[in-house]
Amino acid sequence: MIEIDEDKLIRCPVCDAVNIDKGKENTCRRCGSAIFHHRSFSTEKSWAFLITAIIAYIPANLYPMLLTSAFGIRDESTILGGVVLLWEHGSYPVAAIIFFASIIIPIMKFLILIYLLISVKYPLGKDKKVSKHKLYYITEVIGPWSMIDVFVVAILAALIHLSSVEILAGTAATAFAISVFFTLLAAHAFDETLIKENR
Amino acid sequence: MKIENEDALDNFVICHKCFTLNEEIPIADGSKACCSKCGHILYRYDSKLIDHSLALSFTGLIFFILANLFPLLQIDILGTEQFITIPKTIVSLFDNGFYIVGFVCVFLIFIFPLMIFLINILLFTLLKMERGEKLTKELLILLSHITPWSMADIFFISLLVALVKLIAFGQIHIGISFWALMVFVMIDIYITKSIHLSEIWMLRKRILFNKDKN
Repeated sequence: MIEIDEDKLIRCPVCDAVNIDKGKENTCRRCGSAIFHHRSFSTEKSWAFLITAIIAYIPANLYPMLLTSAFGIRDESTILGGVVLLWEHGSYPVAAIIFFASIIIPIMKFLILIYLLISVKYPLGKDKKVSKHKLYYITEVIGPWSMIDVFVVAILAALIHLSSVEILAGTAATAFAISVFFTLLAAHAFDETLIKENR
Repeated sequence: MKIENEDALDNFVICHKCFTLNEEIPIADGSKACCSKCGHILYRYDSKLIDHSLALSFTGLIFFILANLFPLLQIDILGTEQFITIPKTIVSLFDNGFYIVGFVCVFLIFIFPLMIFLINILLFTLLKMERGEKLTKELLILLSHITPWSMADIFFISLLVALVKLIAFGQIHIGISFWALMVFVMIDIYITKSIHLSEIWMLRKRILFNKDKN
């Protein structure tokens, strides 16, 4: 018989097994993978990925995402420009999807992750209006959906390349793909066991 | 809270969404257990999980091959016909010098979805044969690392968005691959979202470790 505190139980991020928090270094008793618990640098990895993602997100919005050239007329559109263009053409649902996927979701993820990373180190958000576990869950679920725009550009660029009408991917596509990739890494690197709701 | 030993922790589940500790109880075949606090699904019980998953994985794999062989979309612009397949989309990214995007796409929409289905087939075949204690463990760990990176479903939604954008350019014909991809994505969503990895771990424990006792 061993006596344990319920707060001391943590979930293995790889196999979901319930483990006892033993302090400095934890290995999962079922799958043997390390459960991140480095007291000295708990959030730094996630911060590093997140900052990289935010930096990559700036050129992603400034440079053109899509280069359209039809009969010698070149047209460049950024992410936001593309959304505005779609809205003006009357395809409201698609404009809304792109707007959500490439503007709202990344920015929301940045803000939520920054909030979570600060709140595990400093006393913040103690009023428990929103559950932090729920916030983290939301970022994990919606995160990959920001890849939509990159895939759309890839499909359009592959399908339309004639001598007269041509669509090319722009610099922003690379920057955006990098940004999404690093936000996903940042979310995965975040140690959920650091969130202690009742502390 | 008192427990016998560490292995008794297998009788508990921590909710994915709200981190609440729940006790695992036996439930009826085909039903699901929900979190006591937030109602998020914790696990399901399916007595024929191996057979179902094997059947679905094979079906998914067949549709994945179909989706990659045939044209996805075809467009007629100014009398010229052009079509794309999934591999062609990725190759054209490399041709245009977008190596990073191409590299990301190759993994997210081709290698990882394919790997998930191959791993599932191997995993459930091993479990059906009741062997491979070490290999199943490695496969399950690998699977949990890959699953969040498989984006076939997102690619399909992108395809729908691209379709709307393409209407302005010319006559569009939807190819066989489109439908194959649709079926594949539905099976993929069922396998990755509805069969929780913890259920497979539980199944593995029941099959591989209870065998020794008998």
